[in-house]
Amino acid sequence: MRDADVMVLRPAPMNRMESVYLPEVFKGFGTTLKHVFTTFSGKSLRTMQYPEQRREDMPVEQGGMEKKNFRGVHRLNRDERGRVKCVACMMCPTICPARCIHIEAAESPWDDREKYPAKFEIDELRCIYCGMCEEACPVDAIELTTEYDFVGRSRQEMIFDKEKLLKVYDVTITKKPM
Amino acid sequence: MPKPEFLTAQFITSVLTITIVMQILLAMAGLSIYFERKISAWMQDRYGPNRTGFDLGLPVLKSLFRGFGFWGLGQSLADGIKMLLKEDFTPRNADKALFMLAPALAVIPALLGFAIIPWGGTLAFPELTIPVLNWTIEAAEVTVAGANISIGIVYLLAVGAISIYAVALGSWASNNKYSFLGGMRAASQMLSYEIPMGLSILCVLLITGTLLPMAMVDHQSQHGWLIFSQPLACLIFGICVLAECNRAPFDNAECEAELVGGYHTEYSSMRFGLFFLAEYTHMATGAAIFAVMFLGGWHLSPFPGVFEIPGLRAEDTGILAALLKFGVLFGKVVLLIWLMMLIRWTLPRLRFDQVMQVGWQAVIPASMLLVLMNATIVYLGRTSLVEQLIANVLLGAAMFATVRMLPKSTKNKRIRLAGSRFSPLEGEVAVAGPQIDLAREDRPVEGSARLGAH
Repeated sequence: MRDADVMVLRPAPMNRMESVYLPEVFKGFGTTLKHVFTTFSGKSLRTMQYPEQRREDMPVEQGGMEKKNFRGVHRLNRDERGRVKCVACMMCPTICPARCIHIEAAESPWDDREKYPAKFEIDELRCIYCGMCEEACPVDAIELTTEYDFVGRSRQEMIFDKEKLLKVYDVTITKKPM
Repeated sequence: MPKPEFLTAQFITSVLTITIVMQILLAMAGLSIYFERKISAWMQDRYGPNRTGFDLGLPVLKSLFRGFGFWGLGQSLADGIKMLLKEDFTPRNADKALFMLAPALAVIPALLGFAIIPWGGTLAFPELTIPVLNWTIEAAEVTVAGANISIGIVYLLAVGAISIYAVALGSWASNNKYSFLGGMRAASQMLSYEIPMGLSILCVLLITGTLLPMAMVDHQSQHGWLIFSQPLACLIFGICVLAECNRAPFDNAECEAELVGGYHTEYSSMRFGLFFLAEYTHMATGAAIFAVMFLGGWHLSPFPGVFEIPGLRAEDTGILAALLKFGVLFGKVVLLIWLMMLIRWTLPRLRFDQVMQVGWQAVIPASMLLVLMNATIVYLGRTSLVEQLIANVLLGAAMFATVRMLPKSTKNKRIRLAGSRFSPLEGEVAVAGPQIDLAREDRPVEGSARLGAH
């Protein structure tokens, strides 16, 4: 920043009433009391009562969730035959900035592709939910869902393996179609 | 077995009062923490604690209450349980004995101050015979107070001053520089505001001519509340109570933005809880003294003859009248605590030099003038309510008129620092902008190139 860009603002000198402070103090009480009453009437309350009220139930204009591009927990998509769609091309672990995806590729048991993931693990605690894996995937196998309230009791529990990620697909496919 | 000497009507009343009032006080500390959070939430357009009920997370109780949250009333209880169960941590290089002593020293004076509050006025104690021991307690006029001592309000000043030790010792013993800074601030602030507090109490003493809180209340029932006749003393006393309680806008001792947590940074578990308890008990003590000295104690009639209610008069000495008086005084205490909360959540914290400036350059001179004025009107014998009010208004107007003419010496003394941009050494050229050549490379800064020493 240049020195010329620095704007020096000085508060206006206090007038006689202000220099006694007390009238201004009482004005301040008025402001706070006004807020007490508007809170009671519910006019100025902006707090959402979370477990009962959820952002996904609210319209987007009022601060609701934009479901189309919300980035929650991952899922591994299935194809029409119910197999995992992933071809273990290693695009997502390569692009992942948090390095939370670990894939062990193996020879595919099916004819239509060469490789498939024998192991597919995502460390949900390391993930930063940037959505780059989703963008990098050439076969739309990995996707971020709208689920955000998932918890675990240990770090180990929060490393989602292939079965769990496919289960997330089963649970969320009705909510968010592919 | 003969009756012991000390077992008089006053003794029994005092013990009963202490027992009951102490419980109410401790319960009220928890409740006022809850209401502090609730009121602050309302003032900031929030809900505040509204979920913690009394189910303690137990499934049995949960099904009993059916998820009813009791508006979050269980929050204080939950906090208390949490504090009791948390690890009680002592820093390695702390002074163990003083570290342990400080929280106790914080709570004890706050509770001791309550002893002189006349909660229920005078009570006509009936003659009583204790059945088995055959002791007879003579009927007597007793005071419903912890201790009806003759030094009265001076006792309060003496006890209140002890709480400085808690803050100073606690901060020093925890061997932490931030704590120590907080403690030093608190000590100097409390000492500074003790002076105008004493002087404003002196005004009340001059007018009422007594040290006894009981007699002060009686004086106000005959001459009108002192808040109307002594508004300036009332204001100064209010400011000093806030400063003595270390409450906003004078909470520099626990200034979170600068001092981590202030003097109780190193305290955890129930020791921290005791400091917390002391703060809220101190508030209640200050409010009770304020109510007794300026708001007419248990009287509801602001002026003699106006709105007088049977049961609250000085000649009503029954047990029901005492309870009613207690209720009225307690209601006033609650109102004053609410006012303190309103002040806390409205006004920003003063900077420490501003606290000292307000103390030494505004409040102390004003209270000195006030004592002078009150001494004059007492000497002249002009002490009716209207005359006092006129004298107060005149003094206020005089101060208001002259405050601008007073010489201004409020500027901070800036200490010159080598290399400072804001207050450089004599003859040094201040350098603005990045100093490393690498940082200059991608964005040339003309301003600093002009000023630069390179």
